[in-house]
Amino acid sequence: MSDYILEMEHISKTFPGVKALDNVELKVKQGEVHALIGENGAGKSTLIKVLAGVHEADEGGRYLFEGIDADIHRPLDATLKGISIIYQDLSLFPNLSVAENIYIGRDSNKKPWTKINWKSMKELAGKALDELEMDIDLNKRVELLSIAQQQMIEIARALAFDSKLIVMDEPTSSLSSGEVEKLYRVIDKLKERGISVIFISHKLKELFRVSDRFTVLRDGQFVGSYDVEEIDEQQLIKRMVGREVVYENNTQKAAVGEKVFEVKNFSKEGNFKDINLSLYEGEILAVTGLVGSGRTELAQSIFGVNKADEGTLWLNGKDLKINSSEDAVKQGIAYVPEARQTQGLVLEQSIVNNMTLPVIDALRNKLKLIDRKVEKELTEQYIKSLDVRPSMPDLAADKLSGGNQQKVVIGKWLSAQPKLLIIDEPTNGIDIGAKTEIHKLLRRMVKEGIGVIMISSELPEVLSVSDRILVMSRGRIAGELNTLEADQEKVMNLALDTEEPEDKRQPEGAESTVHQEV
Amino acid sequence: MKALLKQKEFSVLAIVIIICVILSFVSPVFLTVGNWMDILEGNTVIGILAIGMTLIIITSDIDVSVAALTTAVAVSIGFMFQYLPDSWFSVVLIFLIAPLIGMLLGAFNGILVSKIQIPAIVVTLGTLNIFSGLVLYFTNGNYINSTQFPQSFMAFSNIEILGIPILIYLFALVAVSTWFILKYTLIGRSVLAIGGNAQSSTRVGINFKKVKMFVFTYMGFLGGVAAIAQTSYTTAVDPNGLMGLELTVIAAVVLGGANIHGGRGSIPGTLLGVLLLAIMQNGMILARIDTFWQNVVTGAIIVIAVSYDEINHRRNQAKLANIDVKEAS
Repeated sequence: MSDYILEMEHISKTFPGVKALDNVELKVKQGEVHALIGENGAGKSTLIKVLAGVHEADEGGRYLFEGIDADIHRPLDATLKGISIIYQDLSLFPNLSVAENIYIGRDSNKKPWTKINWKSMKELAGKALDELEMDIDLNKRVELLSIAQQQMIEIARALAFDSKLIVMDEPTSSLSSGEVEKLYRVIDKLKERGISVIFISHKLKELFRVSDRFTVLRDGQFVGSYDVEEIDEQQLIKRMVGREVVYENNTQKAAVGEKVFEVKNFSKEGNFKDINLSLYEGEILAVTGLVGSGRTELAQSIFGVNKADEGTLWLNGKDLKINSSEDAVKQGIAYVPEARQTQGLVLEQSIVNNMTLPVIDALRNKLKLIDRKVEKELTEQYIKSLDVRPSMPDLAADKLSGGNQQKVVIGKWLSAQPKLLIIDEPTNGIDIGAKTEIHKLLRRMVKEGIGVIMISSELPEVLSVSDRILVMSRGRIAGELNTLEADQEKVMNLALDTEEPEDKRQPEGAESTVHQEV
Repeated sequence: MKALLKQKEFSVLAIVIIICVILSFVSPVFLTVGNWMDILEGNTVIGILAIGMTLIIITSDIDVSVAALTTAVAVSIGFMFQYLPDSWFSVVLIFLIAPLIGMLLGAFNGILVSKIQIPAIVVTLGTLNIFSGLVLYFTNGNYINSTQFPQSFMAFSNIEILGIPILIYLFALVAVSTWFILKYTLIGRSVLAIGGNAQSSTRVGINFKKVKMFVFTYMGFLGGVAAIAQTSYTTAVDPNGLMGLELTVIAAVVLGGANIHGGRGSIPGTLLGVLLLAIMQNGMILARIDTFWQNVVTGAIIVIAVSYDEINHRRNQAKLANIDVKEAS
């Protein structure tokens, strides 16, 4: 028998239209802490979901656990075999007690009328907490615990299950540095007991502190596995980003004019701090960073969705007062959100109804009723100029492809004639042809005098489309790069913020949103 | 003791006690044993239905067909009584068949909610109309009165043990068994779990659909039991007698501290909610307040209680967020 507890080889996973995993390998030894790293969308989450039985891999893969075929088809199978997953957003029941939360799932495969033995449940839960040297009241409802304590409950649950492999997805993202240290000690303890841990994190520093081995994924593909001694941070970064270039990097120097938009000393507790940025006429400014770096939160605060605590905005010569997204629209700011299907479109409604939504007030006739004719003309004009296909104004938005949906969202905001457009992950989930079209569209908008700030985590896109790049990390601007002088490694170095000493990390508040990669 | 005071049920209990004290001054009859027996017996049907509804609301669903379902079973009982002999066997048979019919009707709701995944409010609005339409078709809207009932059933409804009517025992039995299910069985905990966090529950291997199926079928089962209680209490079957009762049932559950968003709710709480509505009704009748005002007061109490709960909940959450930030820094 090999000394690997987990062997996954040739694992592929195809979703309709996307190959999320392509021939990936992940091998974990018994009692080691194995870091799984890669950029956003590299396939880490999908791989973990295959491991956990949430997704089934395509035919042809090999998935062995403890040397035999894992035969895992649903989450419960994995749990019963001794694989526990601690998701970033945790899997706890706020309304149940600590003891119940630790014990739950142990008898999920028993008959529904099985009697619960509270005494043995509490004994087992208490034992698991003792092993972690945690002192938490077993009768307390979990909603009354802090995030760090809740995480310990999850680890205790894994112990109570006699787990042999525990996967921790971004376990430190909402912990303070003191709590992180405590977590490391717990992980060391798990190791001593021979339990293997798969640790997913974006913070390279901490990975070098806890991990024995690394597996790097990139764009759904396996890059390699390395012992901690044989690799350093720079080499890891190189392997994370070293992908094939999909588009040409931007080589055109932009003709930059006057300053059009400025953000001064923008802060919001738990989200971002001291953000200063300026946008000049004729340029596309890219804001990039890892998931959780605060880029989307920043955009939403500029747009008035979540008001910033401090700071001012300035657009075309005057200070802005923005208390809500309605104010932002009135001042000429448009925001195209990342989740275009849920936040940008009314999917069941027609293209017309979607496109004219921001200007519906202006389209009313003398009787204060919506002038359907003018509405349709306006829509047809945008359908033509944006090349939306099929060019049928009455078609429901959910019948369109992702790229065309995005065009409708863009058209919707163009109809409002904005002065500033903030576009979040403009080509997320769109096929390559449509991506290029969207990019051209952004360039055209800049030429027409609209200020464009593009938020994107796709580095080739950032390098291809933008003129200037701001990199965010942990809620701050980690650095600014001129696109002509930038490359993926430079951006990644800033995004991972490898230079910053560990103790300066900002604690994140309980409010900070939980991010899940697709 | 401190933990007890913090319990949500405690604030309902406090309100119940305050109202009792006020009412005992308003009317000398209020605190008599006889009046309390009347209150409890008269609210057995609402109570039994509210207990079933508690499970449904814990899973963040709702069932507005309960009154129609109960009436449908009661009408079935009325029809069966025309053919059943006058023997204790008939009473036993009714106790087997009525809950079974209820279960079938409840399971119908359950299938639509869990398998076809139609929102429960839509499903049960539909079945509410189907059940009551069928009831009217079969009865022409006419009473089935006690002359057609077996004497044994009439005797059953008059049973008193230790001076307490049999229906109150039935109510207590339902309450205790359901409490036991929630606290001590796997299915009961699964009900609480999917209400607390549906995503987590599937991650730990709880079968979401089965649990939904269970709560609606169990509601149907209790609807059958409530139909027996109703028939026994009124010694007649009135096809329109329970119309609109589902709202009182839901109100009692919500007053008892269950959260319409799911996850929270308990049997003791629901019992207190039922009791609160019952004594208010009773008190206002004793105080000779117009029925019109009774409804206004009841409605106002529901709105106030639920708003208070929601505000309190949000405040607690905010406090919790604070703790987190403090611990983090």
